[in-house]
Amino acid sequence: MNPNDSDASRFRPATADRRGEQDLDDLLVHVARGDQDAFETLYDRMVGPVYGVIRKVLRDPSQSEEVAQEVLLEVWRTAARFDPAMGGAATWVTTIAHRRAIDRIRSTTAAADREHRTADVSPPHDEVAEAVEASLDRERVRRCLEGLTEVQRESITLAYYGGNSYRQVAELLHVTLGAIKTRIRDGLIRMRDCLGVS
Amino acid sequence: MRFFRQDLHTLTGAYALDALDSANEITKFNRHLSRCQSCASEVRGFREVATAMAFAATTEAPLAMRERVLAAAARTRQLPPEILTHARPRRTGSSAPWIPWLSGAIATAAIAVAVFFGFSQAHTQNELNQARSQNQALAAAQTRVEAELSQAREHDQALAQILGAPHVTLLSQRTTKGGVAVVVLDAATRKLVVATSGLPALPAGKVYQLWLIGPVKIVSAGLLPTAQAGVTTPVVATGIVKGDKLGLTVEPAPGSKQPTTTPILALPLPV
Repeated sequence: MNPNDSDASRFRPATADRRGEQDLDDLLVHVARGDQDAFETLYDRMVGPVYGVIRKVLRDPSQSEEVAQEVLLEVWRTAARFDPAMGGAATWVTTIAHRRAIDRIRSTTAAADREHRTADVSPPHDEVAEAVEASLDRERVRRCLEGLTEVQRESITLAYYGGNSYRQVAELLHVTLGAIKTRIRDGLIRMRDCLGVS
Repeated sequence: MRFFRQDLHTLTGAYALDALDSANEITKFNRHLSRCQSCASEVRGFREVATAMAFAATTEAPLAMRERVLAAAARTRQLPPEILTHARPRRTGSSAPWIPWLSGAIATAAIAVAVFFGFSQAHTQNELNQARSQNQALAAAQTRVEAELSQAREHDQALAQILGAPHVTLLSQRTTKGGVAVVVLDAATRKLVVATSGLPALPAGKVYQLWLIGPVKIVSAGLLPTAQAGVTTPVVATGIVKGDKLGLTVEPAPGSKQPTTTPILALPLPV
C-alpha cells in the first residue's frame, strides 16, 4: 500500500510513469496529425484496457466489441481534442471508453437486467491470457479496493464496473443518496492515496 | 446556497465514475466544475483512479477487431482541435480575400455561393443576398449547395462546428490550374473547412491532396473527395499552426506523405 511503490506507476502513468505517459501523449499528438502508424501503436497499447473496461460494464462480448471499435475510432477522429492539461492520454482514452459503455447501457432497454447486477470485483475473463503488466495493475487495484470499507468498495465497483448511476447504487445498497455520494467520494480519496495518485 | 455548493461538491466522485444520473445533472456539475478549481483537481485525481481500474480490467480483445479499426481509421476523417482562445483574425495580403466575423449561417450561405460559382473574391452577405434576389438560377444553385452542406453537417460534427462557430473567416483563392478553393477558417479553434469548384479533372490514379504548409514542416490535411458536377464536398482540416498555408497538390493515389509536385494553391491562413 505504499504509494511510493515503483509499480504504482503502471496504472497511473500520468503522474508516476512520466516517460511512459509522455510516449502515449506524444503518440496521440502524432495520431492527431493523421499518422496511422502512431495510431496502430496506440491501438496496441490501449485496446486491452478499452475493451476490458467496456466488457466489465456491458458484459456482452459482441456489444462490447462494437462499442470498443467505436471508441477506438473516436480516439482516432478526435485525437486533436485531447488536452494534456486535463490528464494523461491513458485517462483520456479510458474515460471515453467508460462513457461510451455507460451511454450504451443507459440507452438500451436492458435497464431492468442491469439493476440486478452484483458488484464484480474479480477480474473478468480469467481464462484469457493477459499481459503481465495488466495483472500487476489488477493486483494493485485489488489491494487498494480491499483497503476500503465494504460500502465504499461496493459503491465504487457497482458504479464504475457495474455501470450504475449513484442513484441506482443507493437503491442497490439501501443507502440514502447523500450517503452514497459521500461513500463514493471517500472511497475514491482512499483509492487515490493508496494508488499514489497525486 | 452554501449547502447547495457542498452538495454539488460531494458529487465529484460520482461524476468521475460517470455515475451521475442525468444529462441535466452532468450539465449542472460541469458548470460547477468550471468555477470550482478544487473540484476540478479532485475530479482529475479520481479519473486517474478510474484509469487504474480500467487498466486492471485489461482484457484481450478479439483479434479481428484490430484490422477493422485500423482500416476504418484509414478512411475516416479526423476532427480539428478545440482551442479556446479567441485570436482575432488579421488582415492578410490580397491573395487571401476575407470577410471577418461571419456568423455560422452566413458562412454557410457564402461558402455555398462561392463554391458553386467559383468566386475567387469573397463577398459580403449583403452582396450575396442582392445577387441572389436578382438571379433565380443563383438562388436555386445556392439552395442546392446549402442542402448539400447541411446534409454534410449532419454527418460531420466537425464541419457543423466550424460553420456554426461564432466568428469565422471566409477565404478563397484560384489555383494555378484554374478552379477555386473556398475556405471557412475558424481562427479561434485553428480549424477550417475547404471546398473547391472547377478544378481540372484528374486522370485515373491521381488525387488532389491538401497540405498544411508550415514554416517548419508540411503536414497532409487529407485528400479532396472526387468532385460532383465540378464541386468537391467540404473537407475539414485540423491543427493549423501559425504561419501555415493551405496547399493543394496533385499526387499519385492514394496520396503521399509529403508533396511530390508543385502546389497549385498556397493560401495563407491567418490564425
